[in-house]
Amino acid sequence: MSGADAERLFLENAAIAAAGTHVVSDRGDLLAVLGEVVEMDSPVYCPGVTELEQAAAPLFPVRAADYAAAAVTVEEVFGAIAETGTIVCVSVGGRAVQAGLLPAHHVAIVRRERIFATLDDLFAAVSDDPPTNMTLVTGPSRTADIELTLAIGVHGPEKLDIILV
Amino acid sequence: MRVLLFGTCLVDTFFPEAGEATVRLLRRFGAEPVFPRGQTCCGQPAFNAGYESQARAAAGHFLRVFDGDDPIVTPSGSCAAMVKRHYPELFRDDPKMLEKARRAGERIHELTQFLVHVAKAHEAGLRGKGTITYHASCHLTRSLGVREEPLTLLASLKGATFLPMPDATRCCGFGGTFMAKLPEISCALADEKAASIEATGADTVTGCDAGCLMNIADAMRRRKTNIRVAHIAQLLAEGL
Amino acid sequence: MSHEQTSLAFRENTVRALNDPALRAAMKQATDTFGTKRANALAPVAGLEALRDRASAIREDVLANLPMYVDRFVASATRAGATVHRAADAASAREIIRKILADRGARRIVKGKSMVSEEVDLNSHLEAAGMEVVETDLGEYIIQMEGETPSHIIVPAIHKNRRQVGRLFADRLGVPYSDDPQVLTKIARKALREKFLSADAGISGANFAATDTGSLVLLTNEGNGRMVTSVPKLHVAILSIEKMLPSLADLPAFLRLLPRSATGQTISCYVSVITGTRKAGDATGAEELHIVLLDNGRTEILAGESRDILKCIRCGACMNVCPVYRTVGGHAYGWTYPGPMGLILTTLLTGMEKAHPLVDASTLCGACVDVCPVRVPLVDLILGLRRRKVLERFSDPRERRGMDAFAKAAAKPALFALGQRLAGAFWPIVRALGGKDVAGRMPAPAKTPLRRRLP
Repeated sequence: MSGADAERLFLENAAIAAAGTHVVSDRGDLLAVLGEVVEMDSPVYCPGVTELEQAAAPLFPVRAADYAAAAVTVEEVFGAIAETGTIVCVSVGGRAVQAGLLPAHHVAIVRRERIFATLDDLFAAVSDDPPTNMTLVTGPSRTADIELTLAIGVHGPEKLDIILV
Repeated sequence: MRVLLFGTCLVDTFFPEAGEATVRLLRRFGAEPVFPRGQTCCGQPAFNAGYESQARAAAGHFLRVFDGDDPIVTPSGSCAAMVKRHYPELFRDDPKMLEKARRAGERIHELTQFLVHVAKAHEAGLRGKGTITYHASCHLTRSLGVREEPLTLLASLKGATFLPMPDATRCCGFGGTFMAKLPEISCALADEKAASIEATGADTVTGCDAGCLMNIADAMRRRKTNIRVAHIAQLLAEGL
Repeated sequence: MSHEQTSLAFRENTVRALNDPALRAAMKQATDTFGTKRANALAPVAGLEALRDRASAIREDVLANLPMYVDRFVASATRAGATVHRAADAASAREIIRKILADRGARRIVKGKSMVSEEVDLNSHLEAAGMEVVETDLGEYIIQMEGETPSHIIVPAIHKNRRQVGRLFADRLGVPYSDDPQVLTKIARKALREKFLSADAGISGANFAATDTGSLVLLTNEGNGRMVTSVPKLHVAILSIEKMLPSLADLPAFLRLLPRSATGQTISCYVSVITGTRKAGDATGAEELHIVLLDNGRTEILAGESRDILKCIRCGACMNVCPVYRTVGGHAYGWTYPGPMGLILTTLLTGMEKAHPLVDASTLCGACVDVCPVRVPLVDLILGLRRRKVLERFSDPRERRGMDAFAKAAAKPALFALGQRLAGAFWPIVRALGGKDVAGRMPAPAKTPLRRRLP
């Protein structure tokens, strides 16, 4: 699978899983999209660990020091899987996988070179030395426990936005 | 071609008309059906209830009565499946009988298999009438793998309209001894099946297993529905 | 609360279920929906049969070498920082977990969905020890509030409709009545969020355990599984020994099959892969991870002719298509696991003497075998248990005498023909003498059987 195919497939599958998808070509575009999707009057948690997170962080007027108190988490994630439209969150580098879980809105930034074509490609890459916690996230939190009727946002986010850089 | 007809205990005892129809069909397509006098039951009731030695007694008798090289034809998917799939299990520790069981498994044909693959009955332009729907019985479909043959035959009937049934492969609730052990569930399932049949609007429902058809006919009676329940052999023979 | 096994009263249970229109409507709607979703999800999968073969082969390899894989998992998980406990039976599993929690002064425990914890009846034991145990999966939360047990292994409250849930929440949580699943979900989110953040410990199950890395793998949709395993400082996982996969690299085959077979999803919302405890510099992970590996009779099953049931990956597809389960629901089976896989596992785990009516709870239609993603030969296993039931003398003596008579007649054509004639002659009497359930549903024997009509 070529990089362009993987990218197209990832965006397609992520959208099917009810994630919002955005593609940006540079840092300026990234900030512009963040300006549109993030509720600026809400407390935002942005770890500021990666270069892209550091660039994004000053954008948010209300910063939450702790993800448990945030309404939105904006973070760069480990990677993505084209086959399933999944983003991959890991605990490496002082990163908390639950940061994308507790707030109602999760905004995940993915670098396009971090897209794995298939589940096998991802697990081949991490199986030798898996992080303490790795979470594959596909779409917003959901349940069908009442009459198999889909309800969104049970314990995790009710909204997932993915920005491909 | 000489073929040995295995009537099955249910057809023999309760539905001889389906057996006679089978004979007429076989003759029409050039076969010479012979009804071995000593035949009884394939042993399925005992086998399915866990009575292995009792099932083996019936199976051993079947293999003796149907010995030889002639093809065996039977108007029942579940009895054919019993011989083909389960006889080898019953005789796993008896090499001589195991060989006979394997041979019988190769020789036995469920009626519609024989009519389509050997007799090419679907090319004969048989006549039919009215609207027909079809219940795909479980062992015929899933154990024996006969899915298309009955549909091919029904579709070939000139003058009849075939109406597919929703969830045609869902169990009617017969299940052999199941109907006696858990009659409440059995009736509920038959009732659900009868409702699916009614929903097609067909005036006749058919199938390849007398047990299922008997169970369905009973549900029809309780629902006071006037849909005819007929074995596929009877429907096809009427068009000769 | 503790729940007594009622499998011996299976028929009575089914009659009660059949007379409950709300239950029957809920079951029909849910299982129909599941059937369609499953079929739609699997249809586009290229090479599906090869994928099932591969998954089946991996599971067979696990069973063929289970003691070795369990030892390897214990070593890998221990290396990653987990403490692994081996529990021979339900009582020891309960006690190991109670002690871990009590020793650390845990009072409030949040729990993710775990059928193994249901199997060992964990909650009642912890509650008796004065702990508060909160089920956090929405379905489990509903039935815990109602004092019930799960009636499906994937959708525990499948037997309830939205109005019943709405009334329950209004009564017990003091919220305004609503029958909108989205509103009810939000109510649960709010009530449970406080519990997550204040919990002393989380208890989870696991769908798989990778023996090369010592990882636990959990598939969830709601996010409660992630909460339970990552928010509290102490995480206790309970799983049965057969959940092993040789390698984490084997996981993709199961990630492709399990969610599609279970709920018709391409993949579950969340797949958590947890490997040991929080490392230096990590901001995530429990500080203490205890893994309880439950045997509870599985080593014995492994040595017997029913071992293939241990291939099961708990997707629930077999129950969704089972005519019996669809009609009566899960509670009728009277123990933790319902449907085809459940009746087999229940009979094996609790013993023939406590479960023998369940082996008759199948029409042998084979719909379950068609959908099983890992090719568990469910019908063959049920037939095997029926043979055991007969050999161990749990079958009805009248049936036994009947089958002996059948065997004699089936081998002697003259006797068979005589029986046929007698049945015909005495049919009205057979019907009158309590045969209404059977003879009453059959036509009278033909006056002239086929054998006397043909030359």
